[in-house]
Amino acid sequence: MRLRAEYRVESNLKFLGNLDMMNLMTRALRRAGIPFALSEGFNPHVKLSMGTVLPVGVWGKQEYFDLELIQDMQSDEFIAKMNGVLPLGMEIQRCIKLEDKQAALMKIINAASYTFILKNSDYDYAALPDTLMSQDKLLVKSRGKQKGIDKDLRPGIFEITVNFHEESVMISILVNVGEPVNVRYDELLDLLKDHGVQYEEVLDIFRSENFMRTGNIFCSPFEKVR
Amino acid sequence: MKDRIFRDILPNVSKPARYTGSEVNIICKDWDECRTKIAFAFPDVYEVGMSHVGSKILYGLINEKSDHLLERVYAPWPDMEKEMRSHEIPLFTLESFKAVNEFDVVGFTLQYELAITNVLNMLDMSDIPLWSKDRNEQYPLIIAGGPVVFNPEPYADFFDVFVVGDGEEVLLEFLDCCWENRHLKRQEQLLKLALLEGVYVPSLYSVHYNEDGTFNKMIPLYESVPDTIKKRVVADLDNAYFPVKPVLPYMNIIHDRAVLEVMRGCQRGCRFCHAGVVYRPVRERSIKTLKKQASEQLASTGYDEIGLTSLSTLDYSGVDSLVKDLVKEYREQGTGVSLPSLRVDAFSIELANEVQKVRKTTLTLAPEAGTQRMRDMINKNVSEEQLLTAVKAAFQSGWLSIKLYFMDGLPGETEEDLEGILELLKKIRTLGDENARKKVEIRASIASFVPKAHTPFQWQAQNTMEELEEKRRILSRNKMKRIKMSFHDSRTSYLEGVFSRGDRRLSASIYLAWQKGSKFDGWSEYFNFSRWMEAFRESEIKTEFYTSRLRSYDEVLPWDFIDTGVSKAYLQDEDEKAAAGITTGDCRWDGCTGCGICPAFAIDLDIKEEFRG
Repeated sequence: MRLRAEYRVESNLKFLGNLDMMNLMTRALRRAGIPFALSEGFNPHVKLSMGTVLPVGVWGKQEYFDLELIQDMQSDEFIAKMNGVLPLGMEIQRCIKLEDKQAALMKIINAASYTFILKNSDYDYAALPDTLMSQDKLLVKSRGKQKGIDKDLRPGIFEITVNFHEESVMISILVNVGEPVNVRYDELLDLLKDHGVQYEEVLDIFRSENFMRTGNIFCSPFEKVR
Repeated sequence: MKDRIFRDILPNVSKPARYTGSEVNIICKDWDECRTKIAFAFPDVYEVGMSHVGSKILYGLINEKSDHLLERVYAPWPDMEKEMRSHEIPLFTLESFKAVNEFDVVGFTLQYELAITNVLNMLDMSDIPLWSKDRNEQYPLIIAGGPVVFNPEPYADFFDVFVVGDGEEVLLEFLDCCWENRHLKRQEQLLKLALLEGVYVPSLYSVHYNEDGTFNKMIPLYESVPDTIKKRVVADLDNAYFPVKPVLPYMNIIHDRAVLEVMRGCQRGCRFCHAGVVYRPVRERSIKTLKKQASEQLASTGYDEIGLTSLSTLDYSGVDSLVKDLVKEYREQGTGVSLPSLRVDAFSIELANEVQKVRKTTLTLAPEAGTQRMRDMINKNVSEEQLLTAVKAAFQSGWLSIKLYFMDGLPGETEEDLEGILELLKKIRTLGDENARKKVEIRASIASFVPKAHTPFQWQAQNTMEELEEKRRILSRNKMKRIKMSFHDSRTSYLEGVFSRGDRRLSASIYLAWQKGSKFDGWSEYFNFSRWMEAFRESEIKTEFYTSRLRSYDEVLPWDFIDTGVSKAYLQDEDEKAAAGITTGDCRWDGCTGCGICPAFAIDLDIKEEFRG
């Protein structure tokens, strides 16, 4: 059977790389005694596929992985066993059974939302969404594959929202992931800086959600299954 | 401090997971509830230090079995050091994020001579004075253990105390003693500690040299202080503490697997080998104990590999059953077994075959020398026939590449011995091409011999750098297809040679080298030889005195006061036999060879199982 799990990565684990996350998860699966399926070959590995890479330095509220099991397991049991062994700062929140033909996570997640928590200051954060969204182009230096060349983020940004709290401001930016414009969180940070946001004001960054987008409809990898 | 580190520093450094702590199985004890607090400092980067088995043992032992507290700290990589210094963050431990200078004791493990510059750098980052004489009881007690401290003298002026021998045998009583005497002045504390067996307090001795610069004697300054320091030995390894809930790192470390220490010590008697003497006698663990440790470690970590470690794992009496049973038991879960460098014989290959049922591994053999003459001289009791039989079996079993370890610069080495290495490599390649299903790759790693204290070769001259360079030229004169040779840096070996048989007068050079920026000297990207040479010049040290000078048997050696149990007569006899090309047996099989270590500790070889294979 295949299952899809949603998990949370807290701030204390935000500096782990993708390989570290994979190791953390497979070792937890072993400690929990989950009946995972193994690949064939010289170096057998757990049939685990993680969603899009959570960047180093960013924590995640709703991240996903798919896992193949060799025997059926109830969602509740899976969650309880895993949460019993996962380190502080990592928790499985939901889990659902997948149909066999369901496409792999990496292929279907094509949008994500990053949230920047900033210290509230004199800066006019309320005006930021309109300022940015009204422009034809939002150029930054690419931090991805073609490092250093000009990259237009505008077609990859779907929505910007700003929420005010007592002492902080939360800017959430909904962006495209993968083709045609893969928007990275560090490029967004550069964009904010280019528009006068002070780097020192940034208190924290996390990925709030991952989506499967079709046109203007954004679904979570769980909704799509149902 | 933790918040500042996470917010201001870690986003700007490479591999931040080195510094975050909070790993699975971490032990964070209540600071105020604990007695002696020790920061266990590994003077290299996290992924190296976390792979060290001795550290895992001491971490578990102190934290699980005592009221003391032991927290980890590793050398920050230079990018991290720069950030920490510019943000005025002192060196901190990974458990409590407390500054290292808040601890009662800072314990360094010295696995490698050149790690000393990292020790100084870590002390400096902790705002702790580097010289022992500049520290009073306001500062932590700075101590060191590990294989390097069997000749502690070059580092004597930086440390308050050295702990010699098996750490788990002495550390608990050491920390108890620190606790009992915590209200005393530093000097009085040191006098108390000096009474413990295996504990050496360098400031309690005066050191005298002869006019020709050779060592004369060491005199204890107080009557209660012992003349010699006897290493500590765990007599019953099978019942000794071993951690089954090791800290599980998030990032990849060098040896990223569950570890079983199947035995301690080695009985082979290779004449160049330091570990072979200082860790004697051989003490094994039983298969029953090891299997239990394996299952508990896998359950607590989720590792998918079990490494069998020791100085010569294939000699472990239970190796055959243990490997086969572990493979059988864990194969279904995709959990494999790994063996370190193999013994050179067909049995080893058979076992390696067993192991790779689960996971493909690389095959590593260590013939060490290229001719029979030289292998006899170093007492590497391996014949060419054994080697070729083993290699042939490996190729027939499907291996397509093989890794071989050699040494050059050995005493009495001639050009013929070097040619012998090349000839052997070619023979192995031919054997591979004939017996494997396609053309094979041979990798040879060649290290320079460094004479070590407490070995039969402790009197021998080390090759000069010019000699070593010439030997490398001979070895790499002709390119050989599908044979890849790599050489250890001869300058590094040379420096190791200075310290491995050095004395107290070297401390000024070490200090200067550090001051000039030396650190991470074991890492080629940071190693800077000319800085070291400047340091020696400025401190008026002639390095040849330590390296290329043939010592006479009646010379008093600066490490003679460290009692490893080996008799000097035995070492001399072995050195003479080497020159005559006479081999010495292996005391596991051929009876006692008279090294003197067992009687010195009133213990015996501890062999647990009936050997099969």
